[in-house]
Amino acid sequence: MSHGTLESVPADNESRLYVIVWALLVVLLIVGLAIFILPIPREAAVALIFAVAAVKATLVLRNYMHLKHEHLLIYIIVAVPALFLVGFAITLIPDIVFRHGG
Amino acid sequence: MSATADVTRTILPENDSIHEIAPGKIAIWWFLASEIMVFGALMGVFVLFSFSHDFAADGAHVKWRLGAFNTLVLVTSSLTMIMALASARKHNLTQTRMFLLATVLLGFVFLGVKGFEYTTEIREGFTPATGMFWSFYFGMTGLHGLHVIGGIVVNLVLLVAALSRKPWDFLERRIEFAGLYWHFVDVVWIFLFPLLYLT
Repeated sequence: MSHGTLESVPADNESRLYVIVWALLVVLLIVGLAIFILPIPREAAVALIFAVAAVKATLVLRNYMHLKHEHLLIYIIVAVPALFLVGFAITLIPDIVFRHGG
Repeated sequence: MSATADVTRTILPENDSIHEIAPGKIAIWWFLASEIMVFGALMGVFVLFSFSHDFAADGAHVKWRLGAFNTLVLVTSSLTMIMALASARKHNLTQTRMFLLATVLLGFVFLGVKGFEYTTEIREGFTPATGMFWSFYFGMTGLHGLHVIGGIVVNLVLLVAALSRKPWDFLERRIEFAGLYWHFVDVVWIFLFPLLYLT
């Protein structure tokens, strides 16, 4: 498989795929709003809403940004700041939650 | 051949697929990685502060229906942007121009709705100085809005290039790279919307 070129994206039916992904994104937007409106316990609703957002983001990243066709190097470029952020959040949790909390 | 290229080719053999990645693509992903740090840090701090501040009470005042509409607008603009690339790959100039124009117009619709939201909220007395939630709200959505403006400018430049019949190789690459940026701005909003409007 070739990586990182326009040619690496299958040309056949690609427009149809993009429209299907858009339709899925709209359906997931409606699902997120339904979770927000329905009387679901707050903690569960927040978890579900962000799970739906994660699925939407994955759809855009994989299909519109063609990440599913990309070279490992591109994944590494994206993963490094993401891992930094996780470390950043973990580092701040004790300070913000326990010192300023309550 | 430059010294850097010599070193790269010493480390990686000629037939390694890494050489197939366009340099511009690595650059745009590198830029997006820095953007992940910017928006990710802001969102992370917002979430952490939500443990010690009552954001839910302030969050009840944001216009979630307008936020949902803007999500639909931005998601649709991502579709028109990728369709512009697909059209460019097929060398269909009319469709390429049409989809680029649609993406630009949807970007303006997004900004218009956001501007209406800001106006309404400020009239109701909610400004960046009102409290921690509103500082985050105006800061994060404002920064995102600046990125939308940047995307609109880039897409307008590409639209002018398409109207002046620039070569396809020129257009395809640039529409692809501009699209990566535009979709990233969409991904940021996909997380900002539930963070600020629904939780």
